[in-house]
Formats: sequence, C-alpha cells, structure tokens
Amino acid sequence: MQAEAKSMGVEGGKGVDATKAFLGRLSLLPDGDRIAACIQCGMCSGSCPVGYAMDINPRMMIAKLRAGRVDDLYRSSSIWLCVACFNCTYRCPSNIPITDRLIASLREELLAGGVGVPPELQAAFEKTARYGNPFGESPKKRDAWTKEAGVEVPVLEPGDSADVLWWVGCFGSYNKRNRKDTIALARLLDVLGVDFGILGTDEWCSGDLRCTSQGEEGLFDALYRHNTAQLSKRKYKEVLVGDPHAFNALSKEYKRLGTPLKVRHYTQFLAERAPELRRLMKQTMQAKVTYHDACCLGRRNNEYEAPRIVLETIPGIRLVDMPRNRENALCCGGGGGANWLDSFIWERTRVPLPVQRVQEAAKTGADILAVSCPLEIPRFDDAIKTSGLEGRLRVREVSEMAAEAMGLSGARVA
Amino acid sequence: MKAAVILRQVPDVVEELVIAEDGRSLSEDDVMYITNELDEHALEQALLLKARHTGTVTAIGLGGDAARDALATSVAKGADEAVFVPIDFAARGDNCVLSAHLAAALKAGGYDVVLTGVYATDQLDAGLGGLLAARLGIPYVGGLSGVQLDAGGRKAVVHKEYPGGRLGVMEVDLPAVLGIQSAEQPPRYVPVSKVMQARRTLRVKELKGPLPQVAGVTVRKLLKPESSAHAKMLEGDEDAVAGQIVNLVKERGLL
Repeated sequence: MQAEAKSMGVEGGKGVDATKAFLGRLSLLPDGDRIAACIQCGMCSGSCPVGYAMDINPRMMIAKLRAGRVDDLYRSSSIWLCVACFNCTYRCPSNIPITDRLIASLREELLAGGVGVPPELQAAFEKTARYGNPFGESPKKRDAWTKEAGVEVPVLEPGDSADVLWWVGCFGSYNKRNRKDTIALARLLDVLGVDFGILGTDEWCSGDLRCTSQGEEGLFDALYRHNTAQLSKRKYKEVLVGDPHAFNALSKEYKRLGTPLKVRHYTQFLAERAPELRRLMKQTMQAKVTYHDACCLGRRNNEYEAPRIVLETIPGIRLVDMPRNRENALCCGGGGGANWLDSFIWERTRVPLPVQRVQEAAKTGADILAVSCPLEIPRFDDAIKTSGLEGRLRVREVSEMAAEAMGLSGARVA
Repeated sequence: MKAAVILRQVPDVVEELVIAEDGRSLSEDDVMYITNELDEHALEQALLLKARHTGTVTAIGLGGDAARDALATSVAKGADEAVFVPIDFAARGDNCVLSAHLAAALKAGGYDVVLTGVYATDQLDAGLGGLLAARLGIPYVGGLSGVQLDAGGRKAVVHKEYPGGRLGVMEVDLPAVLGIQSAEQPPRYVPVSKVMQARRTLRVKELKGPLPQVAGVTVRKLLKPESSAHAKMLEGDEDAVAGQIVNLVKERGLL
C-alpha cells in the first residue's frame, strides 16, 4: 500500500516538489488559495462545454494537484482546450477561480517548463510581443481606421486630455470585419457630443492574455507596463472599451497591479444614455433580434442588461432570448486564447462552439444575432456560413445596429 | 560539438519600406528590424544538435541594437554564448563584406559547424554560407532541412531539399558551414519573462573593427514594384461569365 502510494506520487514522488512550488505560486494570486476548498463535486467539469473532450477535466486537475502530480498535467492537452467561458468559475460552489487562476497558472507552468504551446497560439504570442497586436499588423497602422470614420477621432498625444479615453482594442483597430463597428461607435460618440480621444499608435494589446488564461504572464507584464506608461501621459475621466476582454484586463488586472482605472464597456456607456439614444433614433429596424451574452462581459463581469437596454432603444426590433441566455449562455469558443486554438480544439472536439451557438440563434427565428464582443463578429460570421444559415441570420455588433437606426451608416468622408 | 549560428537583422516587411532620398537605399528611420527568418531556423537546428550531443552554441548577432535583443532571445532559448557584431546599415545585405568580416573570428572560434539561414531577405549577392566557407576553406552545403552529427563529430549527415519534393541525404566533413532552409521543428517559443531575464543578465562579446574593403555589389537604384496590367473582372451571371470565357479563349487562340 505504501509502495503503491509512493508510485502514485502521494508521498515523495518526483512531482511532489514541483506541485508544491506550483501551488505556492498559485496561492499568491487573488483567491488562488481557494483551490484548497474544492469539494470535488465535479460541477466545473459537468458545466464545461468542452469537458467531454478533456482527458483530465478541471475536477481531475485539482485532484492531481492534491496528489502531488502536476507533471501529469504537462502531458495533457486539456489545459489548452479551455475557451475561458467561465461556466466552471461561475458555478463552482466553493468560488474557486478556475479559469482565471488555475488554468492560467497551469499554462504558465507549461510555458515556463519548456513544454511549449500549440503553434497557432505561439504565433499570436510572438506577434503580440513584437507588434503589440496578435495579428502581426503594423503598429503604425493601428489608427488607420480613423481615416474612414467620417467623423473626427482625436488622437490624444502625451499631455492631451479628454473626458473619455476610448480604448479601441486590436480587433476593433485592425480586423476588417470589426472596423465598421468601430467606425459606428466613433459616430455614436460624435453625435452624442462626447469629448473623447484615442491613444492611436501608442495603444498596444491590453494583454488580456494573462487573464483570459493564456498564461503568458511576462508578455502581459510588458504590455501592462507599456500601456500604463502611455495612459499616465494623458488626462481623462474614464476609459471606454469596445472589447470585453480589454474591459476585464483594464478594470481588474491593471488595478491589481497598481493602476486603478474607471472603465466601462461601450454598452454600459450607451445604456446610461438610453433616453438620449431613443430621441436620436431616426429609422425603424423591422427585425427579430437575439442577443448573445459574451462570456467575458456576462459570467465574468456580471453585465447582462446594458447591451439589451441599448438594443431596446432601437425602434421596431423585437428581442427574443435563446434558451441558453445570460449566465447560461453558450460560449463562442474564442476566449482564453482559444481564438488562436481553433484547429487544435477542433481536432479534439469536432463540434465547434460557434456553430452550435448560431444554430441556437437560428432556432429562435431571429434575423439578427446581436453581439457586444468583437471576437464574435468573425467567429459567428464564419459559423453562419459553414452552417448554411447565410441569408437567414446575420451577426451584428450592438453599436453598429444603433448607429444604423440613428442614420449614421454608410461611407462618409471626414 | 561546438556550433556557431549567425543571426542577421533584416528589415521587417510588416512596415512599409521607404526608399531614401538617394534613390538607392532604404530609409533607415522607417525600418523596423527582425531576425532573418531562416536564421531563426538555423538557431533552432543548432539547439536541437546541442540537445542531442553535448556541446555549446554561440549566437552571433549582426546588425544594430536590435541584434542585441535577438542575442538575448537566443540565450533565453538555450544559446551558451553571445557575440555582437555591429554592422552599418548600408553594409548589412552585402555578404561579400560580411563573410570577410566574420571569417577570422569564426576560424579562431574553432567551431565544428557554422549554421546560418540559406538566404537573408535583404541579401544583395550570393548566400552568406557559401562565401564564408570559401574564406574558411571548409565545405558548404545549403538548403538543409535536417542535420545529424556522427558520434565522433567528424562528419555530418544532412538532408537537403530539392525542387519537386525530392530529398537528398548526404555526408559532409566537419568543420563545415551549413545553410539552413528549415529546422527539423519550428523555432521554439520562449516566454517573454525569460527573454527579459536574459536581457538583464546578458553578457556579449563584441567583434569590433572596421568592415573590410572587399569587392562586392553596388546598388545603383532601388525601385518599388509597379503594377502594370490589371486583372479584368468578368461580370454577370454564370452563363454570361462562361460565354465571355469561351470568347476570350477563342479570341486569343488558346485552344
């Protein structure tokens, strides 16, 4: 029995020291020590949308750590299957921060231990470290979209000030399918008379990497240092973000590291101005709309209503919910770096989450799948095409829908 | 096994290249540097050799300050020694000059293998590897996708890629210069924290001295590619497009 226990690593196995060191590092993070409160109920694994494909599910990960066997996790692909949907974190009866701390720390462990990282994600890391965005686009072109905005988008130089500093984000700045939504938000801010500005080429990726559990803490720190240095050179009352992941990084992680910021997601900013939006609406939009709750805004940051309030200001639309909505919404599969792990995850699951989600949306009879996270535009757009739903269902950002109803759409010259 | 890897800083084409006022060089202010991609593969191949045989890897970084960062990354990945070779921007693509500049130091280093990318994106003349081997009086083989050293360290068995998907396996006497097309595995990832740590503790040797005056290539004019003929888009439904294709084929006598 003793011998068996030893071979399992319970006593004095070679993984014990490594496991102790790992748990020590984990306990330094906020609520990292809550892992000790795990009751092994399996709620995490049962609610995980890709748990069925994991050889070691979250409950087993914790059991392995308790058995002193962190090295078993090095050999498992499960750690890279997490899409950061926060179902496990949200439902855990012991409030263990599984996604943000356990999975993130395990990924960090794998990186630091030289186990490596799936190639697609490696490329995203390298590009972010080099260019400040995961696409490998020119840092000088980060604000190139402003030329097509049709309204003035002030770039705040060091020493400048504005009421609102708008954090545009990588997808919003570079991705062709997101730029129209970025422009829509610029026009909304303009028509609302908001005194705003952007960081321009001085903005780099917010680094939600670390907190969406990609596990590249050194990279997160480098981005954090760059961005906070740039932020400190401008004066503003609040930060407005388009991407829920940047919202999370700036509002929670930057604060944890010593830079408290007042941050709001654009849907929260607009929801506060709902009466004004309603007055400015010019066109009715005869459409049945279903809203997809972004995991990072919903389960992770408890914001379910703001996007719906904004949608309800649009005359003519009828909002319907999918059966899985709000805290039970199904993930688009793109969080936690999974946007760069699609083929890795597909090889192990075969049923992409965005495809499941657009099918749910179509079943409601909705014409429009409204979203509030830029990752969802390309992800659902592609899923609609591969599911044969083109012509029946369209994915649209809340900002772009509001701008259209206010008559702010179409090409314009500044 | 003693390996040296040559890592060149080349213009990163993610940023637009701007031709300088003289009309025959790039505007240095507008250039962002990146380690030549195939040199990264050469480093990976050297680190794989180090893992298989006991030995050391010396990373030799050519360029300006960006070369120092590349050396820190190399050390973080597992290189044992870093040598910085400052090269004026104007001379970086001239392999005749580079090979003449590096030859003495490489000879003195007593390396069994010198690895470098089979070409650099900014090179003006023939590959660096061949020119170096000629100066050192040792063999060169390039276009490689794999390297194995024999147990005695006297020979290397190399995989060389040929057009049409053919692969040659050949033996080369050591010491030799090897031009790497691709390492046996993609270049490894090293976490940013390790690179930062390496940057803080990096100790580099520097190869000083003026660049040698050797006969080489002189650039007379630099031009951006010009678009000439534009693609013609065929409009209409399937039948209309098919009809137009048939007419085009007939008109041009393609059948």
